Amino acid sequence: MSKPTVGIFGLTGCAGDQLVILDCEDQLLDLVSLIDIRDFLMASSENDDVCPLDIALVEGAVLSNKDAERLQAIRKRAKILVALGTCAVWAGVAAMDGSADRRERLVEVYGETGLSYDSVPAQALHEIVKVDLNVTGCPIEKDHFLAAVANLLNGDAPIYPEYPVCTECRMLENNCLLIERGELCCGPITAAGCKARCPNLRVPCVGCRGPVGDANSSSLLAKFEEKGFDRHDVAARLRTFAPQGGAQ
Amino acid sequence: MKTVVIEHLARVEGHGGITVELQGDTVSDVRFDVFEGARLLESLVRGKRYDEVAPILSRICSICSVAHSLTSLKATENAFGIRISPQTEQLRELLYKGENIQSHALHLFFLALPDYLNRPSATALAADKPDAVLLGLRLKKLGNLIQETIGGRAIHPVNAVPGGFATVPTLDQLIELRNALTEGMQDCVAVIDVMTSLPPADFCHDHTVYAALLSPNADSYYAGDEVMVASSGDRSIMRAAEYKKLTNEESVLHSHAKHSTFRGRPFMVGALARLTVNPHRLTGNLAAAMERLKLQLPAGNPMDNNKAQSLELVSDVERASEIVEHLLQRGVQDERPAEVHVRAGTGTAITEAPRGLLIHCYTYDADGRIMAADVITPTALNAASMEQHFRSVAEQSAGCEDADIEKRLEMVARAYDPCISCSVHLVRRS
Repeated sequence: MSKPTVGIFGLTGCAGDQLVILDCEDQLLDLVSLIDIRDFLMASSENDDVCPLDIALVEGAVLSNKDAERLQAIRKRAKILVALGTCAVWAGVAAMDGSADRRERLVEVYGETGLSYDSVPAQALHEIVKVDLNVTGCPIEKDHFLAAVANLLNGDAPIYPEYPVCTECRMLENNCLLIERGELCCGPITAAGCKARCPNLRVPCVGCRGPVGDANSSSLLAKFEEKGFDRHDVAARLRTFAPQGGAQ
Repeated sequence: MKTVVIEHLARVEGHGGITVELQGDTVSDVRFDVFEGARLLESLVRGKRYDEVAPILSRICSICSVAHSLTSLKATENAFGIRISPQTEQLRELLYKGENIQSHALHLFFLALPDYLNRPSATALAADKPDAVLLGLRLKKLGNLIQETIGGRAIHPVNAVPGGFATVPTLDQLIELRNALTEGMQDCVAVIDVMTSLPPADFCHDHTVYAALLSPNADSYYAGDEVMVASSGDRSIMRAAEYKKLTNEESVLHSHAKHSTFRGRPFMVGALARLTVNPHRLTGNLAAAMERLKLQLPAGNPMDNNKAQSLELVSDVERASEIVEHLLQRGVQDERPAEVHVRAGTGTAITEAPRGLLIHCYTYDADGRIMAADVITPTALNAASMEQHFRSVAEQSAGCEDADIEKRLEMVARAYDPCISCSVHLVRRS
């Protein structure tokens, strides 16, 4: 059987999910022996940018018309398109304040020149094209990425936790930052999979993996208000990484 | 007239290209084009509470997320007048070393090395030079282990918070780091072997101005508050709060043409600049390695930044090892972050990210909410110098085939190790 052809792409973002792939130091050479990476601009100067692909791994959000065009071209080439990371899945940090006047902000950051840039409000991949698999996280977890590739190579659909960070945190027997210490922890509504990385270090969850499927944001908002937090602050925090999934 | 265009630069972080227009052997125009989407993060943090700022602004860039996080925390701490403990200083410095090791190993072995050996990628190189690729992977892993242990995650650290660290490393974790660093020291000798074996990259000579943080004690990238701009015979020193002298921000924002210059001249930041500005670092193993590399400072060839990065790998692993030894001997105190009392004010921090000077400047209101944030990244500071060197390459390659000129331009671009996601403040051209 010939090796599946793969393309790895970054739209606008921090390149952190592509870096997670390169950070698989112990698996990288095995990985490249199992798949045929045809297009990976960040790691190679010899790319086929038109060939059909069995799997396209795409990180970053769409923040320009050029991003949207690239994404559409990738979709046309790919049998399976995987959104890698919170920006690709939820639009990420650049989308946190959708109500803002974009022209005003462009001028604020770049001066009048900013008005001539190719710039559109941040969008997740699924808002532009069909996405076959989401691997969330900011950045993605290495073991999730490797499992996703292994599953796709075997023709299986990867399964990710469908419970909140709280569940993982409780299994580690941590004291609750929200209930016991009154801290603004987004663990109850954030998708697990990080092994409660932050609360395990006594750092409140910032929600960087986006919301869990059955997130009860309004109940969490009430709990935060009971703890004395300002409603707007809390709502803004819940929207930081995944504006569409957070509380309204 | 002819135009040399590199549409989409490969083996760099982010999205950019190069255009050089030539009239005969004279360059009439040169552009480092950036087409990274605008995320406007500096405006998006406005109104955020002080403790939300570092986790958001670290997302500017994954490869230097530690530098963005810690520079952000330092700017916030400076604004509030918070003093951090000596142990926090040491742990932060160790975290910086981890990032620099991972970033330099990634750049040297995965982005730069394939050019010297005429391969498209490190994985292609692995077929006939497996030892070099495995060496790069081991050093990358060492840098990541330090970042995971101290920062809680290799990319976008979570454990560094305003005032210190949420959780300090355990004895077992530090012993694991010590063992890994001991192996890393041997690998660093091999790095210099690899670098000395490469064919020379001698096609760009130019007078270069360098700017870097003055590092009076050892080789810290995190402590220090003074920047030195050095060109032959002329040295100027400025403090963090005066950073606008360095960035010429006003003119950058309102012009397509101007980039950061100091007294009208482009300058280079990064590993080569750090060694040039801090020659007192070049002793012991570092001096011996420098001699083997035949590196002379100040260098007139930007390709020497690759050599400088390999020297920094040696000094970073040594320094990280010293810090871990010191922590093990002294014992790590299970201290909590310094208390935060918010107040209105402005704080500026300048540190050395892997690619050079990084500046965060914030203004807070009395409730500890951010009113304005200014972030200046190394790639933005380097942009003018990169263009100057693209011009030199093209002019010094008279008579070469276009394909050779393109390759040389790409190699010089990569020697700067540009981080285009980072260039939030770069002058963009539509």
